[in-house]
Amino acid sequence: MHQFVLQRGKSAELRLFPHISELGIKKNGAIQLNTFLSTATEDIRLYYIIEGKFAWRINHQPYVLYPGDVALVLPGVPFGSDDGVLEIGSFTWLHISMQKLENGHLLPGKWSGLSESEGAAIGKILLLNYTPVLCRFNEAGKILKCIHAELSGHEIGYQTRVNHQLDELLIQVTRHMTMQNNPGRDFPKTFMHLEEALRRDLSYQWTVEEMAALVGLGTTLFTERVKSYSGFSPINYLINIRISEAIKLLKRPDISVTDIALDTGFYSSQHFSTTFKKLTGYRPSEFRKNHLYNK
Amino acid sequence: MECIITIELGTNGVRVFAFDLSGHVLHSMKGHYPTFHTDPDHSEQDPEQIFITTLYVVKNLLNQYLYPKKYKVACICFSAAMHSLLAVDKNGNPLGNAITWADNRAKKEAQELRRSALGPSLYAATGTPIHPMSPLLKIAWLRTRDKERFKQASKFLSIKSYIIHQLTGKYLIDYSIASATGLLNIHTVTWEADALEYAGITAAKLPELAPIFTTAGKLKMAYQQSLGLPADVKILIGSSDGCLATLGDGVKGEGKATITIEDSGAVRVMGPTVLKDEQMRFFNYLLTDDCYVSGGPTNNGGNIFDWFAKQFGDFTKPFDITHSIQQLLEEAAQVPAGSDGLLFLPYLLGERAPIWNANARGSYFGLNIKHERKHFIRATIEGILYEIYSIGKSLGEQRTIQSLSVNGSFGTTPFCTQIIADMFNKPVRLRREFHSVSFGAWLLSATEMGLYRSLDEAARIVELPDMYEPDQQRHAMYADYFNIFEKLSTKLFDEFEAIGNLQQQYAATNLLPHNSPL
Repeated sequence: MHQFVLQRGKSAELRLFPHISELGIKKNGAIQLNTFLSTATEDIRLYYIIEGKFAWRINHQPYVLYPGDVALVLPGVPFGSDDGVLEIGSFTWLHISMQKLENGHLLPGKWSGLSESEGAAIGKILLLNYTPVLCRFNEAGKILKCIHAELSGHEIGYQTRVNHQLDELLIQVTRHMTMQNNPGRDFPKTFMHLEEALRRDLSYQWTVEEMAALVGLGTTLFTERVKSYSGFSPINYLINIRISEAIKLLKRPDISVTDIALDTGFYSSQHFSTTFKKLTGYRPSEFRKNHLYNK
Repeated sequence: MECIITIELGTNGVRVFAFDLSGHVLHSMKGHYPTFHTDPDHSEQDPEQIFITTLYVVKNLLNQYLYPKKYKVACICFSAAMHSLLAVDKNGNPLGNAITWADNRAKKEAQELRRSALGPSLYAATGTPIHPMSPLLKIAWLRTRDKERFKQASKFLSIKSYIIHQLTGKYLIDYSIASATGLLNIHTVTWEADALEYAGITAAKLPELAPIFTTAGKLKMAYQQSLGLPADVKILIGSSDGCLATLGDGVKGEGKATITIEDSGAVRVMGPTVLKDEQMRFFNYLLTDDCYVSGGPTNNGGNIFDWFAKQFGDFTKPFDITHSIQQLLEEAAQVPAGSDGLLFLPYLLGERAPIWNANARGSYFGLNIKHERKHFIRATIEGILYEIYSIGKSLGEQRTIQSLSVNGSFGTTPFCTQIIADMFNKPVRLRREFHSVSFGAWLLSATEMGLYRSLDEAARIVELPDMYEPDQQRHAMYADYFNIFEKLSTKLFDEFEAIGNLQQQYAATNLLPHNSPL
């Protein structure tokens, strides 16, 4: 395989793909200094190791990567090697620009064939489950190879196929990452991981699909496992957490009922009030009065 | 038709059962709540989430099952895990999370108290082993390590006391839960002055003591309405999970003992006198003021086999641990009893009774070249059960045990029950269809409602249909291997401590393998 680098704005091959900012293969025959310095960019960057062993630093943590491994670098995460050292071996890489929303969530751009909700779920899971090194991930190498081949072959349909492969790559990366974090053995641990993610972002309107994808299960199996473990459907379990957190906030005098409703993920204070009363028998304002009488 | 609801506030969640007045289960539902470990030694639960989950499950059971069938709820009876502690402010609002029995933050305090002159006298007075699980030591910890919370605390409650307070507005603690706080004198059934002094509190900081038959006040109007319950529904304070599991198996009277093995485990007896022990190995908790539930707890029960299954079991479908465990049990059954001499010390979580050594660690011993994977499976199960046997054996020094009952999901696996019968060389009885704890709560309710004249009479109706007979030959072999098991458990004392220290020391600086942060 020959070495090459394609860059947005410089390489004609990428004219139809403005979302790809860089793509290349490098074969490094001798140790080099000051060539692989730490940088942070707005792209998602993937490095797939073909040969050799590389000591890299991702997000300030040192990692050693072996053939078949992928370094996954999210936007804003510093990546490089100490003193810019580049060891002997070969690797291939791809940088893709993602759309970044105001709330920090990532979305693939218009080029993607992913549905809006799946694209959003993938963007969310990449952030929540972020793992900088994906081990034994040969599928990623195959997809990158296929993208190279399509870009240099220019056969009929290549524009569509390249974008398909990029979607495929995002899907595989998300699944591999989730699988690496949740090997499908310890449901209590996985459920705790889910619970923590829900609590960290309680105001977000979680869907069952997103929760299921977060732990690497399809929605049917996910719902079944959650029900048998927790006694509740995923959405009802989430309502449990929402009301419990709301109760804590109602017992503090410094936050309005409307803010509590929105902070804990209810659509409106009306929605909050109805759900709260159904379960506890009290309207939130009544409940608050009862618990703050001495203050 | 009238029915009785039992609510069991357990370690991993709440279980709610509905019984008819003859003790048949009508329906049951459960709800999970999480345990938070913000620090390896901390184990906490959110009291609001426990409360909301409980309400939610009770409401679902009523609306989806009991009301459509026209059942009227006569009585709601509570049981709960022991040793929890929740500080609340003057408005009754929680100051932080509840601290559960599994919390180890007070380990230093426990070690010091155990070695002091006060330790043995507190143990004799309160019946609670000197251990970080004890609310006594948790309060002492808060006093010096979380001064702000200690200062603001208007009351120190148990989780059950908090839930009851939400429902009825009363601060109460039943005798059983109170007797597991390390603060109650179990002989006089009053708060123990020396314990209060050690904890740095007065009795006014604790909820009011109440016998297990106490009606805990009237259900608040809002909950009557949201749950659709009548104003006169009886809210019974009830007892603890350990005491009720013992009652539920009918272990009242001479010669009986019960073994519980869920995640953790215990061996218990019941009687009118306490077990005295110079080594402070046994607990003595109160069911009523003239009935003690005594025994020893282990940290390492079904959770250790779950650990084994997660590491070494086959998972054809994701998270299908039931299937994985079933397969392991089938493989273990191919190995002769005694695992051809492979022994397993199950102390992965340190150990309470009978060795009370937090530094203890797990080990496989006696490995030879003929042992296969399946030997490890069987040895793991046998190791967990040798440990149960060692508690039973030490209880047997003070009480004659003629027959045994078993409850809890791990213990009632037929494969395990047979091994228990063989190890103890005693017949073992059990029931499979429901929880002994909830049945104990039903017996308590039924007695309070006048269906039985006394708990003794109630306990006599308990029938455990399944029976396992011991096999003499297997018993003799287990007895031989147990000798070595028992010796190893104490012989390795220094090495347990040394390896524990090294594990802690290197945990922070460890060089991790391939692809982990260096």
